[in-house]
Amino acid sequence: MPIDAHLALDGVRYRFPGDPAETVAGVDWAIPRGAIHCLLGRSGCGKTTLLKLAAGLLAPDAGTVRIDGTPVSGPRLSVGFVFQAPTLLAWLSALDNVLLPVSLKRRPQPSDREAARDLLASMGLGDLTERRPAALSGGQQSRVAMARALLTEPSLLLLDEPFAALDALTREELQDDLLRLCASRGTAALFVTHDIAEAVYLGDRVGVMAAGRLVHEGAIPLPRPRPPGIRYEAAFGAVCRSLRAIMDGAPSNGPSPAIGRAA
Amino acid sequence: MRTRLASALLLAALLTAWEAWCRSGAVSPLVLPAPSAVAATLWGEVASGRLWPHLRVTVTEMVLGLLAGTALGLGAGILLSEWPALHRVLRPYVLASQLVPKLALGPLLILWFGFGLTPTVVITALICFFPLFENTLTGLGQVEPGQRELFRMLGAGRTRTLLRLKLPTALPVILAGFRVAIVLALVGAVVGEFVGGRQGLGASIIAAQSVMDSSLIVALFVVITALGMAVYEAARGLEALILRRYARG
Repeated sequence: MPIDAHLALDGVRYRFPGDPAETVAGVDWAIPRGAIHCLLGRSGCGKTTLLKLAAGLLAPDAGTVRIDGTPVSGPRLSVGFVFQAPTLLAWLSALDNVLLPVSLKRRPQPSDREAARDLLASMGLGDLTERRPAALSGGQQSRVAMARALLTEPSLLLLDEPFAALDALTREELQDDLLRLCASRGTAALFVTHDIAEAVYLGDRVGVMAAGRLVHEGAIPLPRPRPPGIRYEAAFGAVCRSLRAIMDGAPSNGPSPAIGRAA
Repeated sequence: MRTRLASALLLAALLTAWEAWCRSGAVSPLVLPAPSAVAATLWGEVASGRLWPHLRVTVTEMVLGLLAGTALGLGAGILLSEWPALHRVLRPYVLASQLVPKLALGPLLILWFGFGLTPTVVITALICFFPLFENTLTGLGQVEPGQRELFRMLGAGRTRTLLRLKLPTALPVILAGFRVAIVLALVGAVVGEFVGGRQGLGASIIAAQSVMDSSLIVALFVVITALGMAVYEAARGLEALILRRYARG
């Protein structure tokens, strides 16, 4: 494990009460400052649970979760979390939703509002700050959720398949927004997804999880910054294929699909 | 607009038929007074000022009972939703307290509080308690797990989560319970007066019955119905105002 790891998972295990098997069965992982790591796996492989352990929403049965060397004992504001669904509050405007992390602690100052407006504007929502979530599209809601997670300027962002419900084009736009914002703020990210291309496009490194274990972990041999067109290049496709082969060879949590297997 | 016109025409037709039937002599005015007689009685009550003290008493009982029942129902709903263990212990008692016919408590309440305002207010409050309690409990349980996790992630404690997440989420359901409670409050106040009231619209009905003044009884029905509709519409307006601030979208 590198000494300068920002987030460090060390032998982390977790079993849900009443479950026969461990959902997370001993995972080691380290993310340096500013790096984007992706966690790839089928539904039910334990990747969301691992993310919640990293966030401090769950406490590991064994092993440790450290941020900058300090053990994590619960949720903290230096860690932002983006959920599967946008989880916006229906009765608040987009701006007030972004301000939620602050308004739960204290009365928001003009500087907080300024920061929230800047964040929304940087994602192209500058004109929609007073809209309620119901009046926003799915992609816009996801952007508001991302802005909310970034408001407190966390050094680490944990994302749980945040774009899974969006159409392909919107998803690609949001991936670029995420890369841009993380790069400009030096934010590290652990991004959980089941989409191989998404993991390859976003990640400096990608881990593959199956049945609670990390079965593969490696760097993505593609240059940075990655232009959107890179998705159609041969090198990109090759990386995706090799990850697919690893996923197919991994122990599955359920019946594996008989068709569509990559060579 | 068309439907309103149709409603008004239907009312006029019914009243005309009723008046014609009474005038034909087929039914004694003691059994069913004609609408014209009811209107005359009602006007007499209003003009002489006899109606107002009774109306004031009933409205007072209704409002006090509604406020007390709402506060208790809301409070108990929040308490039992926040402490599920307490909920499991107290649930049978709450249910039993609601299944007792409240009016049957009337004689006991009169023994405790004497005749007058208090027993009726207590009966009204008991009746209003349940819709608020049930709807608060249901509404607070409707918070999405993802949003609850978000609040945990943002470090919000129990009070913050209740005030900023759970109550706003539950608000439409709680307000629906309040609307039901308003209707029941009027029933509670009027029928409570049947048992233990000296004054009020319900007590006046009993007094009118003892002198077989059926046109006064029907006139009081009209007043009670108008009061109920006015209060219900006021509640709907209040609800719309609150929901505009907290509406989904």
